[in-house]
Amino acid sequence: MQNAKDSFYMALRTRLTEINPQRTILVRGAVRPGILVEEAEAPFSQFPSDVFVLRWLCLAVDMNLDSTMTGEQCEIVYQTCGTQSFGGLDRGRALSAMDEELMAMIQPFYTPKLNYAATPPAAMLTRVFWDEPVFSPIVTQRDRLSRSATVLVYSCEEQGE
Amino acid sequence: MTATWFSAPAPVARRVRAFFAPVNRGTQTPVLFDPSEQGRFSLDAPPAPWISLGWVQDFVRKTASKSAPLMTGIPAAPLEQVRETLEAQVSLQFLSWTKLTMGLATGSQHMNILAPAIGAAPAADGAQALPAVTPQSGSTSTSIMLALTDAAKFTPNAIVAVDVDYTGQTGYVGTPVAGAYVRQALTDVDYVRRVTFNVALVSQVTATGLTLAEPLLGGAPATGAKVQAVAGFVDREGGSFYQEWSGLFVLEGSQGERIFFHYPRLQAMTGAEEANSPLSQKNQAGHSRVLLKGQFLALPITDPLDGERVVCYRSFLPAANALV
Repeated sequence: MQNAKDSFYMALRTRLTEINPQRTILVRGAVRPGILVEEAEAPFSQFPSDVFVLRWLCLAVDMNLDSTMTGEQCEIVYQTCGTQSFGGLDRGRALSAMDEELMAMIQPFYTPKLNYAATPPAAMLTRVFWDEPVFSPIVTQRDRLSRSATVLVYSCEEQGE
Repeated sequence: MTATWFSAPAPVARRVRAFFAPVNRGTQTPVLFDPSEQGRFSLDAPPAPWISLGWVQDFVRKTASKSAPLMTGIPAAPLEQVRETLEAQVSLQFLSWTKLTMGLATGSQHMNILAPAIGAAPAADGAQALPAVTPQSGSTSTSIMLALTDAAKFTPNAIVAVDVDYTGQTGYVGTPVAGAYVRQALTDVDYVRRVTFNVALVSQVTATGLTLAEPLLGGAPATGAKVQAVAGFVDREGGSFYQEWSGLFVLEGSQGERIFFHYPRLQAMTGAEEANSPLSQKNQAGHSRVLLKGQFLALPITDPLDGERVVCYRSFLPAANALV
């Protein structure tokens, strides 16, 4: 299951760098694409703005198959206050831009499964795939707009996983 | 030891993609799909002459073939089975309204409403049309060369129909797709352009002609073809003509496997019908998407491999590394 989660994250991260290379974040002194996995970072007191944060939630398993199939719910949270140059008045546009980036990142709805515990990452035999995202309403907190999108990520368990 | 295979569960697919190709009605030649040579084609660029009609929904195929036992003995018990009838049906909903999807989803001729001549008397299929113009040499499937005065008769975003004049011929008419069957001679010189599938949107008008936004189905205008502006499309409930196309439906599984349903001969079996699909499930009385419903009867071909009569081929290309 970890391979599926890693593969999903890396697929979105790779796609984001092509869709909007300017969306980056400085984490522990390194500039990285603006997409993080919450459980793989130090705890946040507040989610960083203008980046996508992946949060893994529910897990479902179907074991009545030749290969066990797992479905993991991933919530992708993002928020923005707009830009300083516009005094935050462009926060709605900034959030719409992130909506569009997320829709572009999600497609195509599959990616090869890789084992990122190996160096270099080892290609596995199956694909990870997912459904269309379900977007939540916008939450307004003073000058901050936030939204989340939920995606069900499926994968087949392979031998040795 | 590194595994080199996996046991694939049943395919998981999101949607069905539909492709159609015209049957040559004159020679009764369908278009065949070869999964061994063409099975891995890009779904966005199907091999000629297949035409992508996009995703479809509510795709249902069902067999209506019937078998019956040959009984023998006392008391009677089945000795053999025989196939009494061979029949299959396909139904689906197209997610767009185009010339092709409308033509496929109607049970009869699908006609172009030609731009009317000034002062022409109203008619249900479209009034007497503006005169057609003749393409010049050098025209292609996406560019129609015209004389300056002819080009000035068209505007960007116009739709054009390109086909020959009707000159009293009978039988199947329309290039390259038979749009109608004429049983007795008609008088409308524009009739072939009324039923032709050779239509396209004009993206640009220049002094030398028209640039098309999409290639004409029939390629470069044939000798004798003329160009006429189209205002829209019309079909009718009734009539004696049946559209016939070769159909290919593709399900792409989550692991890259593909399922093909290839119907060499599909004829529309119902009249024009629509289905409403609310945009919001929470507001059923709100806006609805109007979808074209298509229902088709599969007709048989004789498979040259063994002489068997069949109506459909189901092919499966497994995922890479999947056990079979």
